[in-house]
Amino acid sequence: MRFALRSLLQFVLVIFAVTFVAFGALNYLGDPLFNILGPIALEESGPEFAEVRAEARAQFHLDDPFPVRYGRWVGDMLTGDFGRSYSNQVSVRSILADKIPVTAFLMVYAQIIAVVVSVPWALWTASRAYRLGDKVSTVVSFTMLGIPVFALTVLLFWLFAIKWQIFPTRYEDDTIGQRLASLFLPAVALAIPLIATYQRLLRTDLISTLQEDFISVARAKGLPKWFILFRHALRPSLFSLLTVFGIQVASLIGGSLVVERQFQIPGIGFEVVEAIFRDDFPVVLAVVVVVSVAFVAVNVLVDLIYSFLDPRVDFNG
Amino acid sequence: MADGALEDITVSKGPSLIRRLGPGFVVSVGWLLFVVIIALLAPVLPIGEPTATRVGGRFEGPRSGLWFGADATGRDVLSLTIWGARTSLLVGFIAIFVGFIVGGTAGIIAGYFRGWFDRILSFLFATLLSFPALLLAIFVTTLLGRTLLWISISLGVLAIAPVGRLARAQTLVFAERDFVTASRILGATDMRILLREIVPNVVIPMSALALLGMGIAIVAEGTLAFLGVSVNGGLSWGKQIFASASEKQFLQDGPHAALFPIGIVTVTVLALNYAGDRLREVFDAKDLSL
Repeated sequence: MRFALRSLLQFVLVIFAVTFVAFGALNYLGDPLFNILGPIALEESGPEFAEVRAEARAQFHLDDPFPVRYGRWVGDMLTGDFGRSYSNQVSVRSILADKIPVTAFLMVYAQIIAVVVSVPWALWTASRAYRLGDKVSTVVSFTMLGIPVFALTVLLFWLFAIKWQIFPTRYEDDTIGQRLASLFLPAVALAIPLIATYQRLLRTDLISTLQEDFISVARAKGLPKWFILFRHALRPSLFSLLTVFGIQVASLIGGSLVVERQFQIPGIGFEVVEAIFRDDFPVVLAVVVVVSVAFVAVNVLVDLIYSFLDPRVDFNG
Repeated sequence: MADGALEDITVSKGPSLIRRLGPGFVVSVGWLLFVVIIALLAPVLPIGEPTATRVGGRFEGPRSGLWFGADATGRDVLSLTIWGARTSLLVGFIAIFVGFIVGGTAGIIAGYFRGWFDRILSFLFATLLSFPALLLAIFVTTLLGRTLLWISISLGVLAIAPVGRLARAQTLVFAERDFVTASRILGATDMRILLREIVPNVVIPMSALALLGMGIAIVAEGTLAFLGVSVNGGLSWGKQIFASASEKQFLQDGPHAALFPIGIVTVTVLALNYAGDRLREVFDAKDLSL
């Protein structure tokens, strides 16, 4: 319980820190009026724009002290009002609602691929630990973990979408089949480092589980090897998979920026990079805040689930 | 193992350390030294100007004299890769330097003196680690400007928490050891104990983290460049890959222009990871999670 309170406190403080830093940075590092109006905001652009400037200052309450503005901004966000995009006046909320599902779909897709591949692979390597197949697997997994996602993305894109033309180079989502096909390569690019992480972790865990007495008992009973692996060995090891699950979301977020760019997927990662190029700060700010909050929330949730499933865990150390 | 634990402690210098690190470590470090030396020597190497266009034909394939071929504007891919190494490696160095100076100092002080400073710092580290790092780096560099220094520093800030955590954990271990107590009984000041007893012991296992961290920083810079938001002006591996892979047509016409730098950056990052992993295993720095 103490732990749960601690994580919640941490959650609130992290979100406070993200929003405060992001909002503060936008206000003090750039001229907010310039961000809103563009070149008209500059004094040099003539007295005829003075009125426009004053109007904007009033409209956006720029003359209020910083804490007041910060408070209002947070309040607006809590009610779901993220402001409007500078470039086309579309509400940021509708942009988020449009783009987030695409990226979320991609991430879940990648996680599913990662689990489906890594679990059997880990079982296979653990059952033949330190033999040739396992040693080769260690090298393969090390490479998969180390190769930069952007390198992987370009490689996959070139091999499977251009050279052999097995998969489409562009995103299509008219049917679920098209969606799955066009997101397959991006999802694989995201999944490869995850597969390696999960395989390494599960393998180590499984090897020590396989030394336990209850495994010897199961073996003595004459149960088939695959049955022992799946039913007896895997279950206790799945716990440790859960611990890294949350942290991996960070690499997924970074990776989705890259793959969405290469494969032209209209997700939140593509949108935020575009928004940076056109200095569309409300969009950038909203994405940074929403993604950070989601990331922290996932991690707190994982910690809580874990401490619930295994009450011995103490994260205070 | 044939040699006993005691022997390991007394004869742990020279060749035995290299043997424990293994041939893979030697190969990795050899590659890294090679890359660093080539990058340093770039101005005096017999290679063409990296920015000169029409050195070869558009996407001309590799040939003698133009070993990596040419890119979309006929620039020499080999020369671009060598010059790009300078930026990529420099960003990695500066980032990990910032992380070590700030994170290392804070972590050692927190681990040695404990108390309220330790509590606050541990909380700050946990907070820093809960940001999605890359997104934060993009945001900060967008606001501060995309100079080489700012990009390196913002990537360095991301290294502070992992480095600091390890430094703190290592210090906690060593602060309890007998030689520290002995030193204290002899009347050494905290400052002397920190500098003479703690720091040397903490720094060695952290060298593993320096290598791993450099790999991460190089990848992070590459990712920023790939997204088109890295250093303005100048060359880097990421920018080079972005320039040759962002258009589908480019990859169709001349994949080599992207694949050569991709190969180099991948091998370099793998070498950093492998060398770091080996050091970590040999020094048994368990808390090295990133």
